[in-house]
Amino acid sequence: MNAQLDSIGDISRPSSHPLAGKAMTGADIVVQVLADEGLDVLFGYSGGAILPVYDAVFRHNEANLRDDGSEPLPLIVPANEQGACFMAAGYARASGQVGVALLTSGPGATNAVTPVRDSMADSIPLVVICGQVPTAAIGTDAFQEAPISTIMGACAKHVFLVTDASALEATLRTAFHIARSGRQGPVVVDIPKDVQNTPLTFRGNRELPMRGYRARLRAVQDATISEDHCAAFFAALGRAKRPLIYAGGGIISSGASASLQKFSRTFGIPVTTTLMGIGGFDTTDPLALHMLGMHGTAYANYAMDDCDFVFALGARFDDRVVGVPAAFAPRAKTIAQIDIDPAEIGKVKPVHWHHVGHLDAALQRLVKYGQRHGFSPREDGRYDAWHAHVAALKKDHALNYQRDSALIQPYAVIEAINRITDGRAIITTGVGQHQMWSAQYFDFREPRRWLTSGSMGTMGFGLPAAIGAQFARRDLTVIDIDGDASIRMNIGEMETVTTYNLPVKIVVLNNAGDGMVRQWQKLFFKGRFSASDKSLHKKDFVRAAQADGFAWAQRLDDPTRVNSTIADFLAFDGPAFLEVVIDPDAGVYPMVGPGATYAQMITGDWIASRTGPVAETAGPTGMF
Amino acid sequence: MRHLISILLQNEAGALARVAGLFASRGYNIESLTVAATPDVEASRLTLVIFGDDGLVDQIIKQSRKLVDVIEIAELTRRDHLERELLVVRTDGAPERVDACVQQFGARVLERHGTSVLVEFTGQPDEVDRCLDALMRAAELCEHARSGIAAIERAVLTMA
Ligand SMILES: Cc1ncc(C[n+]2csc(CCOP(=O)(O)OP(=O)(O)O)c2C)c(N)n1
Ligand SMILES: [Mg+2]
Repeated sequence: MNAQLDSIGDISRPSSHPLAGKAMTGADIVVQVLADEGLDVLFGYSGGAILPVYDAVFRHNEANLRDDGSEPLPLIVPANEQGACFMAAGYARASGQVGVALLTSGPGATNAVTPVRDSMADSIPLVVICGQVPTAAIGTDAFQEAPISTIMGACAKHVFLVTDASALEATLRTAFHIARSGRQGPVVVDIPKDVQNTPLTFRGNRELPMRGYRARLRAVQDATISEDHCAAFFAALGRAKRPLIYAGGGIISSGASASLQKFSRTFGIPVTTTLMGIGGFDTTDPLALHMLGMHGTAYANYAMDDCDFVFALGARFDDRVVGVPAAFAPRAKTIAQIDIDPAEIGKVKPVHWHHVGHLDAALQRLVKYGQRHGFSPREDGRYDAWHAHVAALKKDHALNYQRDSALIQPYAVIEAINRITDGRAIITTGVGQHQMWSAQYFDFREPRRWLTSGSMGTMGFGLPAAIGAQFARRDLTVIDIDGDASIRMNIGEMETVTTYNLPVKIVVLNNAGDGMVRQWQKLFFKGRFSASDKSLHKKDFVRAAQADGFAWAQRLDDPTRVNSTIADFLAFDGPAFLEVVIDPDAGVYPMVGPGATYAQMITGDWIASRTGPVAETAGPTGMF
Repeated sequence: MRHLISILLQNEAGALARVAGLFASRGYNIESLTVAATPDVEASRLTLVIFGDDGLVDQIIKQSRKLVDVIEIAELTRRDHLERELLVVRTDGAPERVDACVQQFGARVLERHGTSVLVEFTGQPDEVDRCLDALMRAAELCEHARSGIAAIERAVLTMA
C-alpha cells in the first residue's frame, strides 16, 4: 500500500530494494515505481508518446501474473482520458490511496485538465503520468505536443517535466510523496518519449530533496498544541453555551473521523459538515446536523445562526457555505480553526484561535487535555439547553417534500435506496439537483462513501468516479446517482462498466434537462429557461444502456413501483442501469441564495421556516 | 501599497512560470521582477515588486509559500531593507551636459563613440528615476535599460 500519509519522505536511506542496481529503461522504471507504491490498478489511454510505458506495463503484468492468473497492475481503459482521471480520482476518494492515470501527450494530456483541476480543488491525491514529445522536439510544435507543464502548472499541486532521465526515478517517487503529503492534491509528471527509452540503472530509493516543501511539511507535522494553547481553547469553549463543530473535507483526507466522533461525543458538541465533509461524522448520530450551506439542512443552518462558538475543522469557509462572510455565524463569540494548510487560517473570516497541523493528532490532544482538566459538559449539563434546542431544530425543520404527488419525487427515490443500503454504500454523483438531493437524503455512516465533485462541481464526475471506486472497494455496493445532463458528459464510460463487468449501479434521475440551471432561472431570470430544457431530446437511456451491454436496464415512471423496482435493481448481481422519470419541477430546498444570509434562507413549501415567508424570486445577482 | 517580495526558488523547469502565474492569475501587475543565480546552484533569487491591498498580498504570499519549488519567501517592505537598481543609458549629443549629469549623480561613463555616451548608474529606485530624468533633459536618449530591483534586509534575514 501507499507509504504512510504523513511521512516526510526519505531521500537518503540506502537502498535495500531487491532490484537495486538492475539495468532498466525509463519506462520500466516508471512501472517498477508504480508497483513499489502498492498500486493494484491503473487507468489510462494509450498513444504514441506513452507507448514505451504501456509496453512496460504489459511486460510487467506478463512476468508477474498472480497465482489466480490475474494481472498485478491491470490497466483500465476508459472512453476518454477525462474518464481515466476521474476513475483514478474515484479510486483515491474511496480508498485514501493515490490514484494513477497514464496518458499520452497533447490531446490525451489536455483531456486530463478538468479532472486534475477538480482533484486540486477537492484536495484529492492523484499522480497523472503523461507522455511528451521527445526532449529535442519540445517547443517545436511537434505532432501532439502541448505545453503540459505550463497548462497543468496552473491547475495541479505540482508538475514535473522530466528532461533529465537520471532524475526520473527520484521524480516519480517524489510525485507520490507530494500527492499524498500535507494538503493532498494531484501531481502531473510529463515524461518525454526519449526519457522513457533511456537505458538507466534502477536504484530503488531515490527522492528529490524538495527542501522548502519538506521543511514546511515537517513544521506542520511537528506542530503540537501547547498546554497554554489548549487552555485558551477550553477557556473559550467553557464560556460558550452553544458550541458547534463545522467539519470539512479535511476530516476525511486526514482520516480524523474517529477522533472527531470521540471529541463530539466526549464533550457533547453537535457537528455539521460541508458537502466534502459528509461521512466524516455519522449522519445518523444524534449530534449530527448533516450538511450546512446553500443547500444544507434548515436545522444545520439555523444552528449555525444560533451558535456562539464555531469550531472549524479542515473546512475552508467556501462561498457555498458562508454566503455573506460578515453575516455567517453572527452570534459566534469565538471561531476556532484547525487546518493543515496555513493559507486557510482566517482566509475568509478572522478566527480567534487556530492551530496549523494534522487534524487527527490535534483532536486527540484536545480530547486528552479536556478530560485531564475535568472539562465535562456532559456531567455539568452546561450544554443541555443547547442539545434540546438542536433536537427541536432537527424535528421542527426536518427535510421534507410532497409525499402524495402523482409524479415520482426524487427524494423518495433516494430514501428508498437508502432504506436498503443503510448508509453503507458508496454513492457518487454528477452535478446539479440530483447531487444536492443525494447529499441531503442519503445517510453516511462512514467516511469515503460519499464521492462528489465539490469545489469544481464537474458534471460528468459520477460515472467514472463510480468505476474507480468499485475498483478500490470490490466489497461495497457502488451507486452512481446521476442527472440526465451530467451523465451525458461521460456517457462513453457506460461501456467501460460492462467491459470490466463491474457491478456498478447507475441511477439517472431524469427531469428532462439541467434541473439546477432551471431552478436558478426560475429564481433569478423570471423563468426564462434558456438552453436548459431537454424535453425534446431523443435519447432513450434504457436502449443506450442495453446497447452498452447492460443486462439489467429499466425505466421507472410509476410512483407505486418505486420500492419494488429499486429492490430488484439493487439486488441484481452485475452492472445495472435505472432511469427514473421524476417530477421535472422538483426543487432543491432549503436554498440560501448566492450572496444571501442564512436568515434569508428559502425553505420551500414542505420544510418549515422559522422566519416566515421569504421572497421566492430575486433580481439577478453579481454573486455566482 | 507597494510590496517588495523576495523568493528563494528551486531551479526547476517551469518554477518561475508558476510563481509569476500565481500573481498574474489573481490580476496583479508585476511592476518589476528580477531573477538571478545564488551561490547555491540549485536555487535562484527572485525579487518582485507589486502594488496591492495588504490583506490580498498577505494571502498571495501564503499561497506562494505552498508552491513546491518555493524554498523561502519573505516580504521585505515590512522590514528594514535596502534596495538597489542598475541603469544603463546611451545618449546622443551634448556630451558635456551628459558629463555634468554623470558628475552630479556619481554615475559612470562606460563608452564613448563621437557624441554618443554610454552611462551606468546604480542607486535606489527613486534615484534611478531622477538620474534618468536628468539625462533625458541633458541630451537625446537613444536607449536605456533598468535591471529591476535587488534588495536585501539590513538585519540578519531569517525567512519563513
Ligand atoms: C462541466 C459542467 N458544465 C456546466 C455546469 C453547470 N451546471 C451545473 S448543474 C447543471 C445542470 C445539471 O443537469 P443534470 O445533470 O440533469 O442535473 P439536475 O440538476 O437536473 O439534477 C449545469 C449545466 C457544470 N457544473 N459542469
Ligand atoms: Mg436533469
